[in-house]
Amino acid sequence: MEFTREIYWNVGHGALTLVPMYLLAIIAIGLLVKGALARVAIYRQGLPLNRFDQWQRRLTVALENVLLQKKVTRVPWPGLLHGFFFWGFFLLFIGTTLIVIQADFTDLLFDVKFLTGTFYKLFSVTLDLAGLVCIVMLAGLLLRRYFFPPEGLETKRDDAIMHGLLFTILLTGFVIEGARMAVTELGTELAPWSPVGLAVANLLSGVGEGGLRLLHKLTWWFHLLLVMGFFILIPLTKFRHILSTSSNYFFSDLGPKGKLVSLDLENEDSESFGATSIKELTWKDIFDADACTLCKRCQDRCPAYNTGKPLSPMKLVNQIGEVAFTNPEANLIDTISKDVLWACTTCRACQEICPAGIEHVGKIIELRRSMVLMEGEFPGDEVMTAMEATEVNGNPLGIGYAERGDWAGELGVKSLAEDAEVDVLYFVGCYGSFDKRNIAVARSFVRLCQAAGVKVGILGKEEKCCGEPMRKMGNEYLYQSLANENIETIKGYEVKKVVTTCPHCYNTLAKDYRDLGFEVEVVTYTVYLKELLDSGRLKLDAADLACTYHDSCYLGRHNDIYEAPRQLLAAAGGKLVEMDKNRAEAFCCSAGGGRILAEEKLGERINIKRVQMAVATGAPTLVSNCPFCLTMFEDGVKGAGVEEQLKPKDIAEILAERIRQ
Amino acid sequence: MKILVCIKQVPDMESKFKLDAAGLWYARTDLAWRMNEYDEYAVEQAVQVKEQFKDADVTVLCIGPEQVKETMKKALAMGCDRGAHIADDEVWAKEPFEVAGVIAEFARGKDFDLIFTGMQSQDRGSGQVGVLVAEMLGMASVSTVVSFAFDGTTVTAKRELEGGVKACINVKTPVLVTCQLGMNTPRYPTLPNIMKAKKKELLSTPVADLLKVDKRQETARMYFPEKKGGGQVLEGDLGEMADRLIKILKEKTAVLS
Repeated sequence: MEFTREIYWNVGHGALTLVPMYLLAIIAIGLLVKGALARVAIYRQGLPLNRFDQWQRRLTVALENVLLQKKVTRVPWPGLLHGFFFWGFFLLFIGTTLIVIQADFTDLLFDVKFLTGTFYKLFSVTLDLAGLVCIVMLAGLLLRRYFFPPEGLETKRDDAIMHGLLFTILLTGFVIEGARMAVTELGTELAPWSPVGLAVANLLSGVGEGGLRLLHKLTWWFHLLLVMGFFILIPLTKFRHILSTSSNYFFSDLGPKGKLVSLDLENEDSESFGATSIKELTWKDIFDADACTLCKRCQDRCPAYNTGKPLSPMKLVNQIGEVAFTNPEANLIDTISKDVLWACTTCRACQEICPAGIEHVGKIIELRRSMVLMEGEFPGDEVMTAMEATEVNGNPLGIGYAERGDWAGELGVKSLAEDAEVDVLYFVGCYGSFDKRNIAVARSFVRLCQAAGVKVGILGKEEKCCGEPMRKMGNEYLYQSLANENIETIKGYEVKKVVTTCPHCYNTLAKDYRDLGFEVEVVTYTVYLKELLDSGRLKLDAADLACTYHDSCYLGRHNDIYEAPRQLLAAAGGKLVEMDKNRAEAFCCSAGGGRILAEEKLGERINIKRVQMAVATGAPTLVSNCPFCLTMFEDGVKGAGVEEQLKPKDIAEILAERIRQ
Repeated sequence: MKILVCIKQVPDMESKFKLDAAGLWYARTDLAWRMNEYDEYAVEQAVQVKEQFKDADVTVLCIGPEQVKETMKKALAMGCDRGAHIADDEVWAKEPFEVAGVIAEFARGKDFDLIFTGMQSQDRGSGQVGVLVAEMLGMASVSTVVSFAFDGTTVTAKRELEGGVKACINVKTPVLVTCQLGMNTPRYPTLPNIMKAKKKELLSTPVADLLKVDKRQETARMYFPEKKGGGQVLEGDLGEMADRLIKILKEKTAVLS
């Protein structure tokens, strides 16, 4: 026998079927396009931003994430349910397209049928099972959403529409198949190639042929109407993520990771800086809201949200969308609220996990920029004091700038002004220069370099704050003044390589300064020390140390440096017990985003929460790689009352204690 | 309405001070410079009055070398309309009467309705300049003001007296006010205002053109206070420590008498 089936069996091949069917399809797709274009008009309220460059790279990112569901499946349980549903649905989509191609083009015009023979068998079994997978996955998602909802999952009318419609489409598909098979395929060799359809056919086998044909015809038209409804609903419901989230992968920020947009402060015509309305954000900022599926993965990981602060990255992104669609004149800062905007530590946990490629942090910074640059507003007087202190003395601690290099004197480290013939310039940062606890780290790092025979120089009193906390707080003007001064100073010497012990300095010099004409190579000390160790220049005597390791946000998520510090610890004899939240999932220390300058007035203390996670590992030492983290942990062990159980240390200190004598 | 604000550029008090070679003042190297704290209240109050009465014109005056213009630009960015720079590389050597004389000479005939100065400077701290200027110009003055209100003709000011007592004073313009902590919270300049400040009038006059009075004081010597004995830490039994503390307080201080 010929393995195939008659397309349009029972519903007819003539104009009576095709004309209304195509009319409906044209109407539905027309409405889909109309709905989508109406949304495009809303996105266009935002400022221009070129996200169409490097299209091959963008397309790769998009295909990887759409077809392979890479980001979606990073959270396995709901991610795989969605992934398998998608793969099933995608196969059904391809299958339906093949049917359309054969029935309405190749067969109609050229008498060519390709859904035959072995290919038809494979086609049949694939689609049949794909439909089953979709139903099972959808049931799983339904159970999760309606019966065992995880905390924070918002369920809206859209979710009910989506579940109801998809379920009905899939079920009616099988009813159509079953009714057809009950009449034409039962008992044939082909039947087992549609296992689910066969089961339905067996169920229906008691019904007479007349009844089956009527059932088939009615269900066929109903199914068609539902599918057309699905098309129409795409731009109107969360179904839109099929288009918007997929496109958002294409529009992703291609990096450097987390680099902020530099404001043009020389432009004397601009009268406003930062954003207060959606017209001052970019179209992508509005589009992001449409790409959001409310999966709440960002919210689950946000250190501010998880310590009782009013910020939810998911809510913020959607508020921007809501303003764009319903009240475009509204003031975004009032809508979102200042407390929400100041709560962000720019830890990037939201952006890193987002399965839709949404960029949360840049939006918050744009809104902060408006508060600071246009209103002179800060989260507290202490922040304004720190800003003014930085303007005067080049550091937020307000200590006299002339003392900046004093810590290094006893180590024989000179400033480049005294001796510019050095292997590396150590950009110390404010905390390493002035904060007693972090001076110990700076000294450890210098001793490690000296042990490896590296000649280190510093800028001493010529060094200024890199400007990172100011920039993240929204003070782009102060950041750029500081950055330009540092760049000019460093350019004045023949510097080959800059090393930092502060990830905030590292991120700023290595990425942000590039916009301002800084070209010198910048490395972070963990990577640099790893190189010295690998090349045999740095020799350590390993000594056992039970510890846990905290990935700072700016070495970790912002720069993907996870392994070098762990390898250094292993070489030093560290027996590492990981905290549950490690690497890209690490929980912030609270001090990023300029929050190091601000008091934490709302909710629980983030640093105490992180210290408690470290205590839970049972390890007596908490190793970190950032002066802000170390400061927050020294404070956190006191706040949590665990000073006796847990000692915060910087990785440089651990290594310096093990230098081979 | 015409307003004058007098400001001074002083070293940041967190700096490590050394004496200059002559031993008459601090050495002016390795210092970070900023606006005298009390003058920031003066600038803020002047700008608030300007915002209240739109037709006001605020002049900010500062005596000193070229570098004081940086501090003046901050005052302009906070909202002052024009800057009057009195060029004087040796301003540190001028005593309060001379400084007041220069300011009074500048202000004479310009019909300022309000003059704001800081209560004192953070470096010299004489507290004299403001009131001397008022005296020289023959206008009323109110010193150490912690609260300020103005209805266009009458100033209602609160002065801070010893022991937290406040005096409330009503005075008609023209009047000079010296500003004390608590009067207001100085604003952080916005970026558009920083940009506008770069284009505002900032004229320099040589100090010789305005210095018409003679010196009345001479600095004889400047020195760091002698290091006295450090603190004493009591240790031991709580009750015994309390007894010893009471004994020390009775013998060496007057707090218990």
